[in-house]
Order: sequence, then structure tokens, then C-alpha cells
Amino acid sequence: MFARLANGNVAPIRTIEGQATNLSRTMHGLAYDAVNDEIIVPVALSGAILIFRGDAAGETPPIRVIQGTRTGLVRPQTIAVDAVNDEILTADPARRSVFVFDRTATGNVPPKRVITGPKTGLVDIVGVAVDPLRNRIVASSRKGNGATGLFVFDRLANGDVPPRAFIGGPKSKLAHFRQVAIDPATGNIFLAQQNTRMKREEAYVLDKPRENFKEEKDEEDGDDSARLDQMGFIAVYGPDDNGDIPPRAIIKGPGVRYAGAGGVALNPKKGELFAVGGNGFQTFLVPEFFKPFSRPPTTLQPGGR
Amino acid sequence: MPRRLLFLTLTVALLLLGIGQSPPQARSRERAAAPATDPYEESDEACAIDAAMIAALQEQFQAGGVLADNWPPDALGGLVPPLRSVHDPYPTYDGLAFDPLAGRVIMSDENRHSMLVYDRTAGSASTAVTEPIQQIFGRRTQIGFVAGVEVDPVRQEFYTVNNDGGDKLVVFTYDQQGDVVPTRSLVTPHQSWDVALAPKRDEIAISVQQSNAISFFRRAASGHDAPVRTIRGLSTELHDPHGVFFDEQHNEIITANHGNWTQIRPYTSYDPLVTDVGEYKPGAFYLPSITFHRADANGDVAPLRVIQGSLTRLNWPMGLDLDAQRGEIAVANYGDDSILVFARGGGGDVQPTRVIRGPATEIVGPISVAIDAKNDEIWLANYGDHTALVFPRTAAGNVKPKRIIRNAPAKTPTCGFTNASAAAFDTKRDALLVPN
Repeated sequence: MFARLANGNVAPIRTIEGQATNLSRTMHGLAYDAVNDEIIVPVALSGAILIFRGDAAGETPPIRVIQGTRTGLVRPQTIAVDAVNDEILTADPARRSVFVFDRTATGNVPPKRVITGPKTGLVDIVGVAVDPLRNRIVASSRKGNGATGLFVFDRLANGDVPPRAFIGGPKSKLAHFRQVAIDPATGNIFLAQQNTRMKREEAYVLDKPRENFKEEKDEEDGDDSARLDQMGFIAVYGPDDNGDIPPRAIIKGPGVRYAGAGGVALNPKKGELFAVGGNGFQTFLVPEFFKPFSRPPTTLQPGGR
Repeated sequence: MPRRLLFLTLTVALLLLGIGQSPPQARSRERAAAPATDPYEESDEACAIDAAMIAALQEQFQAGGVLADNWPPDALGGLVPPLRSVHDPYPTYDGLAFDPLAGRVIMSDENRHSMLVYDRTAGSASTAVTEPIQQIFGRRTQIGFVAGVEVDPVRQEFYTVNNDGGDKLVVFTYDQQGDVVPTRSLVTPHQSWDVALAPKRDEIAISVQQSNAISFFRRAASGHDAPVRTIRGLSTELHDPHGVFFDEQHNEIITANHGNWTQIRPYTSYDPLVTDVGEYKPGAFYLPSITFHRADANGDVAPLRVIQGSLTRLNWPMGLDLDAQRGEIAVANYGDDSILVFARGGGGDVQPTRVIRGPATEIVGPISVAIDAKNDEIWLANYGDHTALVFPRTAAGNVKPKRIIRNAPAKTPTCGFTNASAAAFDTKRDALLVPN
């Protein structure tokens, strides 16, 4: 945990780590429940969701753990909390699914709802957010040579249902992104995109070499975030946006270049946005991003999948 | 073109903030020449790089794409300068390997994506930065979020494996320096963590976290060469494997496990949904362990023995090394800032034979260890303190290190995370939460 005003090379003010925490050193999601003062973390390597007290520090065990055969979890990647409707949402790309659990669930419990199936379009789901006021769930999902972007579902969606909206396509420049966040007041949707290159096919399927794999020659492959021609950005959309559209607001250029931001967190009260990636984070003062967009989106193309 | 001017101004400002691509040790060299200067001040070398970067940015700016003036059309924001920036400009030590023939110690740097090589006598009680004798750094090196390190003293090569940011093992030689292409590289499974060499078998072993596997390759494997065998499956008791050591003398593979396990299935954007996995096994938390498998094992093979249990004090065990003379295994025990030493032949819930731990040791987030049997020393790479430490080989308890190797001035903080891809804001405490 870092103080909001942290600047420069600073140490965290508090850390939760160690064997008793059940955390791993590989975690791709985090949510904070301000109403109940809890921290929620998915552990991809243990098929689990951990809930800590908001003031947890050091080698502190979680107060609740969601894990077991009934959960259906394999590799939960990303997380969101809905304190209004008392629910925790996680997305598991190994199951191509968004799972919704009761917020107070613990142990080997089944999800309340699961958004899953071919109609959903969900594949490599790397971000999930919930808008309890407008009753929407937004998932960021990537599909190799397929629908890659933001999938918007009704909050109570369950089963194999199509999204009510999809933001993606060549005009959107959405490609290699991760975390999505929602400003609860405006419903504006924030997305952290690490770079604009579609994620390539991996040489391995887990620990097995992929059959018929062909390498794309690129001497400078590796740290995608540093490619000048493929810089990432923080994109912002309105709550009702849909189609192959560019962002309504953006942070791009050297400000987010080195982070290759994969994470985005919001402090609407102060008009601040945190872009997290690589080995650091940057804070941006963008109060205009936390106001309703007054104009219609540019080049709106409904159903742009 | 006011926006373009703003863009260039932002670029220069950010580089002066110390988040540029200048080699990490270039800063330390400059400080050595003029210690009173600002630690973030750039060297001449870095300025040359900055000029090239600005030129490249200008070109991109004019060429269109994300950086073009008119994209996205009519959008708010654009080239917004950060209000604040948190970033550690110095290396952080991660993997570590010792070459007894050349008297060299090789360490990987996860923060700045570099390799740092030191003479075995390096380090002192000084608070100043320790100069490496060799450094590999730059885009051509293909070093990403790097982890374990191994050395081949005979061929004078060292290996390191990217845990993320380019799934590769890269190999460099002692005569390479700076931004160089690896002598050879091998594509590896995602989340590979450590690499161990078996010179007689002419093989390398690589631990793979998410697959709970150890994959073996020919030593000289390169490109997309496939593993020759893999230890993987429910019987293996491999649970989020990290450090690995190839004990050829006893035909064993020794592995440090964190204890996380899930029935991993393909999940990436090119893989179809896999449901045919037999009985669904839910995720689990096992106790951390040290597993010993036959080195020629293949497939779903049970370990020969396991060190595991409350007496072991294992807590996020990371890298490990074997002291063949003394028949001991040293483990970097990240979770409680210690080095644990076990008898090689031990198994079950056993106490370590020695523990190096306590405030005098200055151990903070240890990631890897290496034994120097010739000079009776044990080396440790600290992730949390910009230091590597050298202790007497048989040290125990709360002892001071003999020497300290520094990649930043003493007491320089570190952010403590790498490769973060999520965050949340704690409104109650006015704080940002970041998972590692």
C-alpha cells in the first residue's frame, strides 16, 4: 500500500505477504470494498479468492477464502466488488467465465450466477468491473484474431447471454489491455491498455509446445510496453458507448509510456487516476474524466463486433 | 504546434524524473565521480539516448497512430503529464549464481531488466554502490521480468529465465557487455522461474510455476526446441515451484515449492475452452516444501522425499543451492527474511540445521542463495533492499554479513513490486493498493 501522495522512489507504507496470507507472488487483480473495509484478491495459482480486513498488514491470514469444488474456479484472474448488492465478481479465463459470488461467501460455495458460453464472446478475460447504479458488468476480454474489447452485460445476466454492448475494433485501437474500472457516479468506463499490438500466439500451451507454432520475427520482442509505435494508453468511455469507437478521453504518450499501464484505479473525489504497470505507477489529475460526457461518441457503430 | 512542444517537454521532464531507459549503473558511476550531485541526474550517455528517443518520438508523432495529434478525435486529455510518479530507478537483485572457477557472481535484475556480474571479492561495509565488472542491459538483450540465474563455468556462459515479459531463457557469455543480443535463446513455458544446469548430462532444468512442472531441455537447446521430458502431475507434489537445483551426484532434482496449486487449463486468447479434464480438482493451498525427484524422472512421478511441515519454517521458499561438501541445502526463505539450511538427505517435517535470521543479518526479501565452497562463503540476493549479502558458509543466527554488495546507495528504498497489472484505491486510508 502506498500513500496517495507518494512520489519518487518510495517504499510501501504497508505490505501483506508471507505464507499465512495464502497470497502468491502472482496476482493480477485487486478490489477494495470501501463500505465494508475489505481487500479482495484473486489467487490465480490456487483457484481462490481471498478477503482481508482493510487494515491487514504483514503475514495476516485472510478473513474469508472462497475455494473448492463448488466454486468452479480454476484460475481467477481479476476481481470486482459490488458493495451495493453485496456481491463479489471474478473472471476466470481458464473457464471463459465471469463468476458472481455472495460478498460474504466463504469456503466451498457455488457462485450465484455465471456468465459463460459462446454467445458471451468472452475468452481471455483480464478485467472485470461492476456498475451497481446502472446494473452493468463490464469485462475486458481478448480473443486472438477475434472480438477483443469491452463486453458490457446486464448485472443480473446469467448463463450463455450476449453482451448488451461491445466496444472494440480497429478504430478503437484496443488490443493488449488489462484492468477495467468504473466511476460509480458517472458510469464512465476506464481501461488500462499496455500496448496496441494484438497479443501473439504463445509458443507453448501451458508446458507443452504449441503444434504448428510459427514465430513472428521481431528482434525487439519482449517488453512490449516500450515500443514507441505501440504505446499503450488509458482509455475512457461513456456508460452507454457501443461499437468500434475511439475513446472519449485518453491519457497517452510518455506519461504512461514506461508503465505500460495494465492497472487503473480511481479516486473520483480528487479527480485522480492511477496508472499502474511494470515497476511503478503514475498519478494523473484529470477531473474532467469524472464528469458525464456531453457529446455523442465519435463514429458510433452499434454492434461493431 | 503547441501540443508537440508540450509533448517534447513532457518527454524531457519524465526522463529527468528518472524513469528513462538509461543503464542503471550509469547513474552509480556518475555519483561515484561527483557524489554531491542529484542521484537522478542523467549521465552524458543517458542524454545521448534521450536525444535519440526524442527524435524517435517526433517521428512517431508525425506518423499517426496513437500518438497522432488527431487520435482519438475530439477526446479529452491526450498528452497528460503525471502529477506524481512512483518508480525505483535502481536494479533489484533477484536470481544469483556463483562461478568458482572465474570467481564471478552473476545476478539478475528484475526491476531494470539487466544482468549484473561481480567479482567474488566484491562488496564491503561501505554505503556506496558496488561497481559490477560486467553488465548486460538494453532492448536487444531480451531480458524481461527476469528470475533465476545459472552459470556454466566451463563455457563461461550464464543463463537467466524470464518469468514474464517475453517467455525466454537467454544465454550470455563473459565477454559480452551492454545492449547485446544473447548468444542463444530458448522459448520457455510461461511463468518459468529458475534454471539449473547438469553439465554431465548436458541438460538444463526449468521450473514452471503455473504448470506445477519441471521441464528438461538439452543444455544447448535454442529457438523452439521442445523439452526432452517434463515432471508434471498430481503425484509430483510440485506446487508453484520456484528454485530448482540439479544434483547430478545423487541423480536428484531439488525444488522449492510455495504451496499453491490449481488444475491449470489453457486460458490465453488463442486457446479453445478446455472442459475435458477428467475429475475437476479445485485449487488448493499446500504447505511450502522442498521436493526431491529422480533427475531422470518423466511424467507424473512422485517425489523421492519431501521436506515439509511446521518445523521446517519454510515460508515462500525461493532459490536454493546445494553444498555438496557438507551435504546441505541452503534456501532463501523470502517469507520470514531468512536463510534456512537443511541436511540434503532429510525428509518430512524436519527442523533446519541452521538458520541465518535477525536484524543484524540485513536480510530483506531474500530471493536466491549460492554457496562458495572454495572460499567458505554463502551469497544471498535481497529483493527488498538493493543489496546482496555475503556470510560465512557456516553462519547461524543473527549475524552480520561479511560484505554487502549494493546496486544503490545505502538506505535507498524500493517500491517492492514488479510487473504489477492491477490496482485499487483505498478511500478510507487515502492509499493505493497494488498486487505484486
